[in-house]
Amino acid sequence: MAAFRRQVLNCCRLVPLTWARMARETACVGERKTMTASLWRKLTTASSRGDLEELSCVGSNKYVKEPECRVNLVLLEKQRAPVDRGSLELEKVTSSLLDMGFSDAHVNELLSIQPGANPQQLLDIISEFILLGLNPEPVCVALKKSPQLLKLSVMQMKKRCAYLRKLGLGEGKIKRVLYCCPEIFTMHQRDIDDIVQVLKEKCLFTVQQVTSILYRCPSVLREEPSELEYKFQYAYFRMGVKHLDIVRNEFLQYSMAKIKQRHVYLERLGRYQTPDKKGQTQVPNPLLKDILRVSEAEFLARTARSSVEEFEVFKKLLAREEDEESESGLSDDKRASLDEDEEDEEDEEDEEDQL
Amino acid sequence: MAAPILRGVRKVLKHVDFATVPRRHRHKKKWAATEPKFPAVRLALQNFDMTYSMQFGDLWPSIRVSLLSEQKYGALVNNFAACDHVSAKLEQLNARDFVNEAISHWELEPESGQSGPLSPASWACSPNLRCFTFARGDVNRFPPARLGSLGVMDYYLMDAASVLPVLALGLQPGDIVLDLCAAPGGKTLALLQTGCCRNLAANDLSTSRTGRLQKVLHSYVPQEIRDRNQVRVTSWDGRKWGELEGDTYDRVLVDVPCTVDRHSLHEEENNIFQRSRKKERQMLPMLQVQLLAAGLLATKPGGHVVYSTCSLSQLQNEYVVQGTIELLANQYSIEVQVEDLAHFRRLFMDTFCFFPSCQVGELVIPNLMANFGPMYFCKMRRLT
Repeated sequence: MAAFRRQVLNCCRLVPLTWARMARETACVGERKTMTASLWRKLTTASSRGDLEELSCVGSNKYVKEPECRVNLVLLEKQRAPVDRGSLELEKVTSSLLDMGFSDAHVNELLSIQPGANPQQLLDIISEFILLGLNPEPVCVALKKSPQLLKLSVMQMKKRCAYLRKLGLGEGKIKRVLYCCPEIFTMHQRDIDDIVQVLKEKCLFTVQQVTSILYRCPSVLREEPSELEYKFQYAYFRMGVKHLDIVRNEFLQYSMAKIKQRHVYLERLGRYQTPDKKGQTQVPNPLLKDILRVSEAEFLARTARSSVEEFEVFKKLLAREEDEESESGLSDDKRASLDEDEEDEEDEEDEEDQL
Repeated sequence: MAAPILRGVRKVLKHVDFATVPRRHRHKKKWAATEPKFPAVRLALQNFDMTYSMQFGDLWPSIRVSLLSEQKYGALVNNFAACDHVSAKLEQLNARDFVNEAISHWELEPESGQSGPLSPASWACSPNLRCFTFARGDVNRFPPARLGSLGVMDYYLMDAASVLPVLALGLQPGDIVLDLCAAPGGKTLALLQTGCCRNLAANDLSTSRTGRLQKVLHSYVPQEIRDRNQVRVTSWDGRKWGELEGDTYDRVLVDVPCTVDRHSLHEEENNIFQRSRKKERQMLPMLQVQLLAAGLLATKPGGHVVYSTCSLSQLQNEYVVQGTIELLANQYSIEVQVEDLAHFRRLFMDTFCFFPSCQVGELVIPNLMANFGPMYFCKMRRLT
């Protein structure tokens, strides 16, 4: 009984403020009169459980931020009743979202992602995204695509965002990561750590390069650390690609299969050579972007200058070679070394002396 | 400091009875701990890049990738294993007999517009050869050959292009045949499959290689046929055949030692591109001329010779043929005529990839769609 009384009192405290805010808003901006008035009407007639369907009839007018309303927003937040899932909380959350720059349509979408969820949690999580520098539109899209993000606790979310900022992923850089790899928020921190460790300590990328890799090739987060390391080693030793080019060309996002198919094909055609100790090749190697970024058709037409049917056969043969090598535990370094051009006059003479 | 230690050691050793240990590594004191810095396979590839990019131009990349990738095999059916079920079994795998397909093309489109008299006998392909391959672009492999009911293997897996020189030779029943450089024995076996050899002389300089040849014959050809065909295996120097058995043979196959291009890109052992074998490699064209000359001298006038290599090199192919013909004309006053194989080539164009610009003879070039070869062959007729 006492608890209930407290709740009612809380509500009563809320209500006047809400009413007052609404009154002021109505007085402030003439244009929004219709919108807020209708919202007001909806809210007063809404059931205690918060009627989301009714809210969705709110028109999609452009909302302009008002400093006064922000002050009220803060006040409202502080005095919220945790258990209250009523229309008041919903209305509060809505206006907060509108404050942040979400359109009415956005707000509706966001609130309908998880109908039974706590709107306050929704707000908290969205706030963290905004604080990371993301714009409303991307946040909306990402949450629609990955509703599981809303299940995070606020503590988790804050902690993760702090960690991401430390990695240099604040200021909106996180946008692409959020689209491609929303798990960056839900996965264990040690898994992200493992990837960062591999990049920094095994692959020797600089801190800025690691940040670059994370936001340009978010799929690295899904890879096994050992596989990621192998991919780097393939680029660096086997193909002779340096750190800068690996980052610039977003090399790490491509699958190992695709990289090997295209690289080994070019190598066996004689169109790609692993650079020697001095970084030289007999023929100029094609640019990485012309190898990996282009479509297969363009790769074959321009870079490999070969036919589709030959490449199809080659892919089958290569797959079989890989299977058999992994079974017998050999590496294909033997055949790889065929194309290294390390021979020059001096070396040749030394060799003959040894005989 | 050493002296007192030595004394001590000697004292201890007096009391120990060592069993005798065999002395190993008597001649080779040091074994290499690492792979050679410039492996022969790499030297081979460098050599090919230099030579063949000039010779083949834009065709070289597709040949190169094919040489470096897994080759395609053909299954030469063993007629002595007495089974049609072998053909059926191979057909079930989705392979087909390319020889049969080519011959049926011949029958459908007889040669027309040829200048000069047609001589069916010299144009005919050697008979009774059945060789299965998978279709273009099909990378399936044949299962290993199995022992059939007559105690011989059912088919022989080999580069399908190797059958072409034997087909081109055009054996006729009752021919006396010489295979001058017969080992390891694929083409020798094909010659026997024709059933045309009254006598077959198979020779190879290397005794270890003739050993392999013998094994192949034992596994594939029943004893009575080996006897009946009067198969004679020898390990003599092929260059001497002009003196040994001049003017003897109806058909001669001279499948000379060469740089074995495909093999040299994969096998390090005994690779002819090793630096230690450089002289030998440079002398190859001369050796090849001598062998072809011997083969021609051993042919009856009017008889036929096919020269073949498994190299792409013009120096080992066309130049050897042209050089030998000139040599025979100048030194022996023997006239040799090259026979045009254009019609023959057209029969097999669906299965193999041919180089269009050989001066003489035909060259099967490797291509990923039909990864056979390299195989060069040239047919000649000894006129005088």
